[in-house]
Amino acid sequence: MKKKILISPIILFFLILLVFFYLLIIDRNPSELPSVLINKKVPTFEAKSLLENKTFISSNEFGNETTLVNFFATWCKPCLDEHPYLKKLSNEKGLKIIGINYKDDSKRAIKWLEKLGNPYSSVLVDPNARLGIDWGVYGLPETFIINSNAVIKYRLVGPITKKNYDAFVLKVKQVEK
Amino acid sequence: MQRILLAIIVCLMTSQIVIKNCYSVEPDEFLQNPKKEFRARNISKNIRCLVCQNQSIDESSAPLAKDLRILIRKKIKQGNSDEEIYDFLTERYGDFILLNPPFKISTLFLWILPFVFLAVGIFVIFLHNNKSKKLDYNK
Repeated sequence: MKKKILISPIILFFLILLVFFYLLIIDRNPSELPSVLINKKVPTFEAKSLLENKTFISSNEFGNETTLVNFFATWCKPCLDEHPYLKKLSNEKGLKIIGINYKDDSKRAIKWLEKLGNPYSSVLVDPNARLGIDWGVYGLPETFIINSNAVIKYRLVGPITKKNYDAFVLKVKQVEK
Repeated sequence: MQRILLAIIVCLMTSQIVIKNCYSVEPDEFLQNPKKEFRARNISKNIRCLVCQNQSIDESSAPLAKDLRILIRKKIKQGNSDEEIYDFLTERYGDFILLNPPFKISTLFLWILPFVFLAVGIFVIFLHNNKSKKLDYNK
């Protein structure tokens, strides 16, 4: 009995080692944070539109259909890689995507969209990251899936790529259900 | 010899001061009111920079850290209490943004496990001691 108790720290040590080893080998990104906004209503905000001379009022825009909100900037290389996939989602899947141009030069952003094509139904400007902070953004690009009740259901930190495109479409379909 | 020792001590002490004052707050961010600035600094020291995750936003030079520092100062100017500012940030970024995790059901293990380990350790040492004492008597 006493021997068992004496041996228990060693067993405990190996159990902890096993847990650490498991966390090391599974496919996960330890710096990726879960969003606290999941299953919450979209933040209410007003913002200037990049391409039109009007104000975007969030309460008028969400709640009719599944919508994506994509934070992007021209200085962000992964955003460039992600762009074709956003176009694919907009053209092939007919998804409404709202783009938020995060801490960027507006002239550059307009040129960028002219050159690469514009997958967004509206593009908003966020010059001082105030919108980004309201959405809990910490690294570009970030994409949110919002359901037809204006509730945030999913957040992807990092770009939509060839590798995760199908999984992302599946997530959108789950939200649409 | 004494002089050299004194020089070393002074060097060590000043280097400590330099290290302790290592921060990224830029002069244009400072608030005019020193009391309010002090509050802002204290809050910033408790807020994690989410870009370089083991630094506080007080130490980090990441753009997001700067944005948050400015936001905190703006909120202080608007008359928000420290509590309100912490709530504002955790509503958006979760408890992870606090460098000092709050005591909750989800963090219960985090707080209690060290004490459990300590108790187990003491127990094991106690048993071991008892055993060796008995062996001594048998001799």
